[in-house]
Amino acid sequence: MLNGLNVEGTTPLHRMSVRAKLAILLFCGLALYAVSSLVILIAAFVIAALIYFTTGLAFRDAMSRLKPILFTILILLIATAYLTSLREAAEGFFRLMAIVLFAGAVTATTATGAFIDEITRLLQPLDRLGLVRAADVGLAFGLVLRFVPDIFNHYQLIREAHRARGLKVRPLTILAPLIILTLKDADTIAMAIDARGFRRPSEKRR
Amino acid sequence: MTTRDLVLIALFTAIIVVLGLIPPVTLGFIPVPITAQSMGVMLAGCIIGAKRGALAYVLLVLLVAIGLPVLSGGRGGLAVIQGPTGGFVLGWIVATYVTGLIAERLVKEGQSEARQFAGFFIASIVGGIGVLYVIGMPWVTAVTGTPLSAVATGSLAFIPGDIVKAVIATLAARAVLAGYPLLHARA
Repeated sequence: MLNGLNVEGTTPLHRMSVRAKLAILLFCGLALYAVSSLVILIAAFVIAALIYFTTGLAFRDAMSRLKPILFTILILLIATAYLTSLREAAEGFFRLMAIVLFAGAVTATTATGAFIDEITRLLQPLDRLGLVRAADVGLAFGLVLRFVPDIFNHYQLIREAHRARGLKVRPLTILAPLIILTLKDADTIAMAIDARGFRRPSEKRR
Repeated sequence: MTTRDLVLIALFTAIIVVLGLIPPVTLGFIPVPITAQSMGVMLAGCIIGAKRGALAYVLLVLLVAIGLPVLSGGRGGLAVIQGPTGGFVLGWIVATYVTGLIAERLVKEGQSEARQFAGFFIASIVGGIGVLYVIGMPWVTAVTGTPLSAVATGSLAFIPGDIVKAVIATLAARAVLAGYPLLHARA
């Protein structure tokens, strides 16, 4: 149900460390805003497009992922062209598309697990300060992935119950039972986690 | 944070993901179909409170960032955060916190039903609409160069739908408070 958006592969981007990829993405994202030369922006756009379309992603998937964001960008930039100038809109288009394409390439070449490991590592300094528990992040990710199919089942059951009674399926009548049905399991799940000792015992706490 | 809080946060994030999977519905007088997921901010703040609600959204934004298609229509990935509407995605976290903060202050168990409805409604409007747009709109301007006034005018089209969502979230939050109260952290 929740498959990651990454594809397997051995391109240089696949082999690069997650931290390096994120650092480059962040740097490019910021640096491109300092540039207003159309030549450089178009060059960045072409390079980003080349990287994005050579990640091993099927062309159709690659295009369908771009569609919603391309739509938003076009609407906003048509307004910009109309209200300010065509040149500014063109700059905005190539800059944004370069960033979006490169971000898409990082997403396509990084496995979910690698991301979670990197987040846990990045949180280590905060963990040592006692602000967060880095290991909790991985546990929380696991819980979400584990329970999305269950909650979707709850939704289908509630929908069937509506149909059986001849009621229309409305957000209002779905939300409350869905949320209560899901959250009332929290105690049992928490007990199960503690019983298995998945979290280290809380030390030095009030 | 107790294990129970951690579980509540993760379960709420999972609920928000599921709300993105169910088909959008059209409401009589508003032409655009609304996705149940867009009520998530108001629901999270009003149901599990400021801190846990905001953390549920931190988790959701991380899921988006690591490339899981958790947003409605199967969207996800870093491009969503770096794109023009990224301000709204990051704004969800703050908006949920503010919604929760107001709901925790205004709504108490044992109050009259009308006061609880009013409290949740104010929290949803201020946090889920006000705060969200205050963060989201300047971001659009910063990223695309579209003048803020134009972005604000364009956003007006979404306000009627947002108010309907606030009403639905209010009714749902009040139903959950009556059935299984979680808003105020258990001692």
